[in-house]
Amino acid sequence: MRAAELALKRKPKRWVINLVFVGATVAAMVYSFAGSTINWTRVRTIGISLRVMMEGFADLQWDFFFGTGIFRFEEGVIYLTLVTLAVAFIGTFMGAVLAIPFGFLASHNIVGKRVARIGEAILVIIRVFPEIVLALILLKGFGMNALTGVMTIGIHSIGMLGKLFAEAIDNMDKSPLEALDAVGANAWQKIRYGIIPQVAADVSSITLYRLDINVRSATVLGIIGAGGLGASLILAADSWSWNILGTILLAIVIMVLTVDAISSYLRGKLV
Amino acid sequence: MIKFVDVSKTYPNGVKALRGVNLEVKDGEFVGIIGLSGAGKSTLLRSINKMISITSGKLYIDDIEISSIRGKELRMLRRSIGMIFQSFNLVKRMSVYNNVLTGRVAYHPTFKTVFGLFPKEDKLMALESLDTMGILEKAFTRADQLSGGQQQRVALARALTQKPKLILADEPVASLDPITTVQVMDDFARINRDFGITVIANMHHVDLALKYATRIIGIKDGEVVFDGKSKEITDEKLVQIYGRSLRHDEVLGE
Amino acid sequence: MSKFTLTNGKTIVKPFNKIWIIVACVALLLYLFSRFIPFDPTFIKLDQLKVILEKMFTPKGNRTWNDYFMYIPKSLMRPLQETINMSFAGTIIGSLIAVPLAVLSAKNIVKTKFIYIPARFLMNLFRTIPAMILALIAVFFVGTGILSGIIAITLFTFGIMSKMLYEVIETIDMNPVEALESTGATKVESLRYAVMPQVLPMFVSYLIYIFEINVRASTILGYVGAGGIGTVIKDNILYNYDRVGASVLLMLVVILFVQMLSSFIRSKLQ
Repeated sequence: MRAAELALKRKPKRWVINLVFVGATVAAMVYSFAGSTINWTRVRTIGISLRVMMEGFADLQWDFFFGTGIFRFEEGVIYLTLVTLAVAFIGTFMGAVLAIPFGFLASHNIVGKRVARIGEAILVIIRVFPEIVLALILLKGFGMNALTGVMTIGIHSIGMLGKLFAEAIDNMDKSPLEALDAVGANAWQKIRYGIIPQVAADVSSITLYRLDINVRSATVLGIIGAGGLGASLILAADSWSWNILGTILLAIVIMVLTVDAISSYLRGKLV
Repeated sequence: MIKFVDVSKTYPNGVKALRGVNLEVKDGEFVGIIGLSGAGKSTLLRSINKMISITSGKLYIDDIEISSIRGKELRMLRRSIGMIFQSFNLVKRMSVYNNVLTGRVAYHPTFKTVFGLFPKEDKLMALESLDTMGILEKAFTRADQLSGGQQQRVALARALTQKPKLILADEPVASLDPITTVQVMDDFARINRDFGITVIANMHHVDLALKYATRIIGIKDGEVVFDGKSKEITDEKLVQIYGRSLRHDEVLGE
Repeated sequence: MSKFTLTNGKTIVKPFNKIWIIVACVALLLYLFSRFIPFDPTFIKLDQLKVILEKMFTPKGNRTWNDYFMYIPKSLMRPLQETINMSFAGTIIGSLIAVPLAVLSAKNIVKTKFIYIPARFLMNLFRTIPAMILALIAVFFVGTGILSGIIAITLFTFGIMSKMLYEVIETIDMNPVEALESTGATKVESLRYAVMPQVLPMFVSYLIYIFEINVRASTILGYVGAGGIGTVIKDNILYNYDRVGASVLLMLVVILFVQMLSSFIRSKLQ
């Protein structure tokens, strides 16, 4: 018994550390809320807001959805959803194409450590630059339309895609490059026959994954006028027309779930 | 013909891999290089197609001194020399056919090869090589679907498609099982005999080297300590090359 | 497809390469989708990009560089604090409420379809809606300000965390669970002593990673009224580009810092 008691005493007092962690987290949480100005009237009327929302959701605008009746097809949700998809798809494609040279530039194997660091730094800056701010800038050059959305998504996607492409290149089997050296291939031929066939599947899979993210981004970008569903969404939100908002949300959910499903199916096939 | 004149190689970390090597290999020979691992076998082999550059001495291939050539000239040299690796070095996700076709890339302008535009005779050459190696029916499967022995045959077909005068083989059977090993070595012997292609191979298994090579070069600490016909190798000579008697794993045994 | 005849008379047929179907599909989609994108070179004013970048990253009018940079400590610290606060609170609350849903979604813990399928549906529903739209909706319920930001980040975190966590739970080693159940432990007890120890390190790692994502997302939520730096950007976007520029610079620094801190802590956790 004595040995067991001693062992028990020696058991590290983890609960002290845990308590400190939990305590600190709770204190930080309280502090987070303390500074916030809460609109209590709004909070108290959540019940009413909820009823208004539900009433709106029960009254979805199908003419608006399909672009029939008083709506032209170009004003309907289906058309706007297609625009959003177009922005995401073309933007992702553009991003993937642009990310390929960046992927090489940031790959330690291809360009060496020193250049790769510079490449990585450029990619980090692209990645952390907020998408909406980028869109606000590009808006001035490309106008209040879907082209701005495409350019924003195209440029912003380079950040993550370039990084993941570089990783794919760095992780691949280098031995075929040695063989290509031995047959007398030059740099371009090594890329074409040694690198591309090895990374193509990974690169496609990464790009499909990015398409998932970009479909959501394309929706949000519309809010500042870069085309697609977002513009109608913010209009409806400003006037709290839940029937319209609900119609748009329904389209977003269907669109995102469909693209997710297609993208993960295709990614599964690629392995 | 390959001629080493006083060739030395010192790596940047100070390791002396070759010390004053003098050798001559005639066309059509089958040379086996034996020695301990780290003795400089691989460096010797790889200096021939300049995968490794020598630090001093002269190396002639068909009377051309190769230590000063680079760029396009070097690629022209390499395209005439086939090379076989221990781990096959195929692009596993590419078809066997495309892997073999890469043996032709150095014969054509970049833009054509990048778009996969090879002349019909090159495509036939690739398929003929595969047929020679007995794996024509695998031409359009992915390389990773093949067994190790088959993959090494694909690598051999790639080398043959280069229409080389010489094939360098760096431990060609080290990752194969004993039965495939014999089959692949038979292939090397056949290529050497039927096409008159010079073969220089590093061999871990001494008995295999003695069986297939017509000439043995023994290397110890970067120096050639034996150079002669395989028949001339005796147990004493092996002790001289290895500095000890052979270990179990250095003979294949049959 | 093409047929080759070797010199010895053998023939072999090169099969059709499926890659061309994929290329054709992508090309077709690009063509179809491009019809939805207006492209009129006369409306593209690339010189305007330079103008706006200049406006953002130089002081406006008679302001000095000192004004430009002093704006950050003078007026942006409070919004920055709001941004960090709402990311923090949202990450913690969202992650905690994600735990039960993740458990309910895990096939190896809950064996009934009737529970894990609806649980996954709920999870996917939240995952589909972008944080910005969640914030927009939250503003409707609780008004502008940081509370709607917290709600948006909470729901957003809830979506990601429950997905990531349930995938971890499904890959745990089930033997300890079996061992505990054989000693007569209840479901809750086996969760606490067999599942939690296996999942906790990943949970903490994800928590930090999601916090990083949330800081990035929350900087901009103010654009729809959810407080933080986004509000400053929205208020100044029409007339004071230099203020927007200063906010962007601050955001870049903060996001970079959080990202480095996050990957440092996560690498220590491994």
